[in-house]
Amino acid sequence: MEKRESLWEAYLRRGLSRRSFIKGCVALTSLMGLSTDMVSKVVEAAEKKPLPVVIWLHGHECTGCDEAFIRSASPLASDLVLSSIALEYDHLLSAACGEPFERHLEETIKKYWGNYILAVEGAVSTTDNGVYCMSGGKPFVDTFQRVAKGAMAIIAYGTCAVSGGIQGAKPNPTGSSGVGHYTGTKPIVNVPGCPPIPEVMTGVVMHVALFGKLPPLDSENRPKQFFGNRIHDTCYRRPFFDAGMFADRYDDAGAKAGWCLYRLGCRGPETYASCGNLRWYQGMSYPIQSGAACIGCANSNFWDSGASFSERLPKYGPLGDVDTIGAGLAIASTAGVALHGAMSVIQKQKRAAEEAEAEGGAHK
Amino acid sequence: MQHDNMKIQKRREYYLFSPWLRIFHWVMVDSIIVLFVTGILIGKPLEIMALEPTQTSMLMNWVRNIHFLAAYAFCASFILRIYGFITNKGDRLFPRFWEGRFYADTIDVALHYMLLKRFHRSYLRNPLARMSYAGLYVLVAIEVLTGFAMYYMTNPDGIGASLFGWVNVWLGGEMMTHLVHHYTAWAIVLFTSGHLYMVTRAEFMEGESEVSSMFSGSKLLEHVPVDASDVDVTEKV
Ligand code: HEM
Ligand code: HEM
Ligand code: SF4
Ligand code: SF4
Repeated sequence: MEKRESLWEAYLRRGLSRRSFIKGCVALTSLMGLSTDMVSKVVEAAEKKPLPVVIWLHGHECTGCDEAFIRSASPLASDLVLSSIALEYDHLLSAACGEPFERHLEETIKKYWGNYILAVEGAVSTTDNGVYCMSGGKPFVDTFQRVAKGAMAIIAYGTCAVSGGIQGAKPNPTGSSGVGHYTGTKPIVNVPGCPPIPEVMTGVVMHVALFGKLPPLDSENRPKQFFGNRIHDTCYRRPFFDAGMFADRYDDAGAKAGWCLYRLGCRGPETYASCGNLRWYQGMSYPIQSGAACIGCANSNFWDSGASFSERLPKYGPLGDVDTIGAGLAIASTAGVALHGAMSVIQKQKRAAEEAEAEGGAHK
Repeated sequence: MQHDNMKIQKRREYYLFSPWLRIFHWVMVDSIIVLFVTGILIGKPLEIMALEPTQTSMLMNWVRNIHFLAAYAFCASFILRIYGFITNKGDRLFPRFWEGRFYADTIDVALHYMLLKRFHRSYLRNPLARMSYAGLYVLVAIEVLTGFAMYYMTNPDGIGASLFGWVNVWLGGEMMTHLVHHYTAWAIVLFTSGHLYMVTRAEFMEGESEVSSMFSGSKLLEHVPVDASDVDVTEKV
C-alpha cells in the first residue's frame, strides 16, 4: 500500500500556514463535539494519521443526505472532501462515471481492503432480489455487502440507511430496511436524520478519520456527542411547555408568539438530535425555531409513528383517538355492568323465590 | 328466642390479606387515580391564559411532577406487596393454571356470570378474579416499564436509562413507548370499572364480605370455599 499523506502534509502541499492548520484543528475539535482539552490530541492525530480513504455508497434514497453534506460550513465540505479525507468513490460528487468509475471502486476496495471507511446513504432493498435499487447493473444490496466486507468501519448516514426511511414506510413495497442487518460484525455508526445536520455528518467522518476509531455510541449506535439528548430537553420553547402555553394552530396567537408546539404534534419529546444545540446552516435556525413542530425525522420508522405529524395520538376515522374511544368504552362498560347488576338481582330474586317455594313445600 | 325475619347463619372467617397487601392496594387505588388524571393531562394539556411563562404557576411542570411522584409512591408501596407475598399465603392467590380444577371452576363461574347458572360455588377468590388481577399486574408492569423508559431518558447515560432504555428500542422507538403507555392507561381504567362492579356485586349479592376484606384482611364465608386450601385457614365460627 502506498504511503498516504496526513492532514498536515496535505496543508503543506497546498502551501497553507501552520496557523491555519491549527485553526482548522480547533474547529474540528469543537465540531466533533469534543472538549477543548482535546485540541492537542487532534493536532497530533492530524499531523500523523494518513488521510482516511472513504467510499461513499448510495442506496435506495433521495440523495438529500448528500445535499446536506455539501452544505457543511465548518469544515466546509469542499475542504473536507479535498483535503481531509480521500473520497475515492461517490456517485453524486464524482466527475467520473460509467465503467471506469465502477472499475475504480473495485480497485479501491482491493487496494485499501480492511482500511477504508464505508459511508452509506440510503436503504437496502431486498424484494425480488433487490431489483428495485440497482446501480452499475448490480443490485445495491450485493454491492453494499461486498464493499462492507472490506471496510474498517461503516457510517450509516440518514434515516434511510439507519432504518429504511421513506421507502421503508408502510406498505414498504420494495422491502427496504436499514443497512444494519447487512453489515455482519463490522462496527457501524448510525447517523439518523432526514437529512442529518451537515456538521454532524462531517463531524462523524472526521472523528473516525482522525482517531481511527468510532466515537462513543449509544444503545442505538448513534454518536453520543450529537444524539445525546432529546430535542425537548434542551428546547428553547421548553418554558412554554412547562408553563402550559401551547399553540393550537399554525396561525393562532400562540404560534405567532412562539409558544410550545406540543399540541401540534411536536416530536421533540421523543427525538434525539442536535437540531436545538447546533441548529442548521451555520446555526441559522431549525424547524422548531422557524415555527414548525419537530417531526422526529431522526427516529427509526418516524413515517409510521401512528399519529399524523400534527397530532400526538393516532386517529381512527370517525371513532377519534384513544381518549375518545377509551372514554366511550368506559361509559359502555359502566352501562354494561349496571345492566348485568340489574339482571343479577332479578336472577337472585327468582332463585330466592324458588328456594322459598321448595322450602315451603317441604314443610307441608 | 328467634324472630320470624331473623336468620342465624354460621360463617367461617378466612384470613387472607396481610396488612402489607392491603396498604399496597389502597396506595395503588389512590396513585392510579392520580396517575391517570395527570397522565391524560400530559397527553392533552390544559391551556392556560398567560402572556409569559414567568407569570404562570408552571402548571404543566406540576402536572408532570405529580405524575412522577405518584409513580414513585406506587412503586415504593409495591415493595410492601412483595413482603406480604413472601410471608403470607393468602397474598398469593394467583390463577392456578397448572391445576385441573382451575378450568372446571372457570367454567362454573363464567356460566354464572353469563346468567346461565343460578349460582357458582364458593371461592376465596374465583378463577376469573384471579386472572383479572394477574392481568392487571401485567398492565401495571407495562406502565412502569414504559413510564420509566420515558422518564429516565432525560439522561441517556444514566443508570435509569440503562435499566429501562431498552424498552424504547424494543418497542421500535420512543414514540411507541408514549403510545403504549397511553393506551395501557385506558386498559387499566376498563379493568377498574369491571373490578369495582365485581367486588360490590360479591359484597351485596353473594354476601361475601368482599369489600371489607380489603380493610380487615378476612372474608366471612357461609360455605366452605373450594379453594380453601390456598390459605392457612383460621376458622372462627
Ligand atoms: C408507575 C410508573 C409510571 C411512570 C414512571 C410514568 C411516567 C410517565 C412519563 C415519563 C410520561 C411522559 C411524560 C411526558 O411526556 O412529558 C407519562 C405519561 C403518561 N402517563 Fe404515566 N407513568 C407511570 C404510570 C402510569 C399509570 C399507572 C397511568 C395510568 C393509569 C399513566 C398514565 C399516563 C398517561 C395517559 C400519559 C400520557 C402519555 C402521552 O400521551 O405521552 N402512567 N407517564
Ligand atoms: C374503591 C375502589 C376499590 C375497592 C373497594 C376494591 C376492593 C378490592 C377487593 C375487595 C379486593 C379483593 C378481591 C378478592 O380477592 O376477592 C381487591 C383486590 C384487588 N384490587 Fe381492588 N378495589 C378498588 C379499586 C381498585 C383499583 C382502582 C385497582 C387498580 C387499578 C385495584 C386493583 C386490585 C388488585 C390488583 C387486586 C388484587 C390484589 C392481589 O391479590 O394482589 N382495585 N380490591
Ligand atoms: S434520510 Fe431523508 S434526506 Fe437522507 S436520503 Fe433518506 S429521505 Fe433523503
Ligand atoms: S416545541 Fe416541541 S420540543 Fe420544544 S418544548 Fe414544545 S414539545 Fe418540547
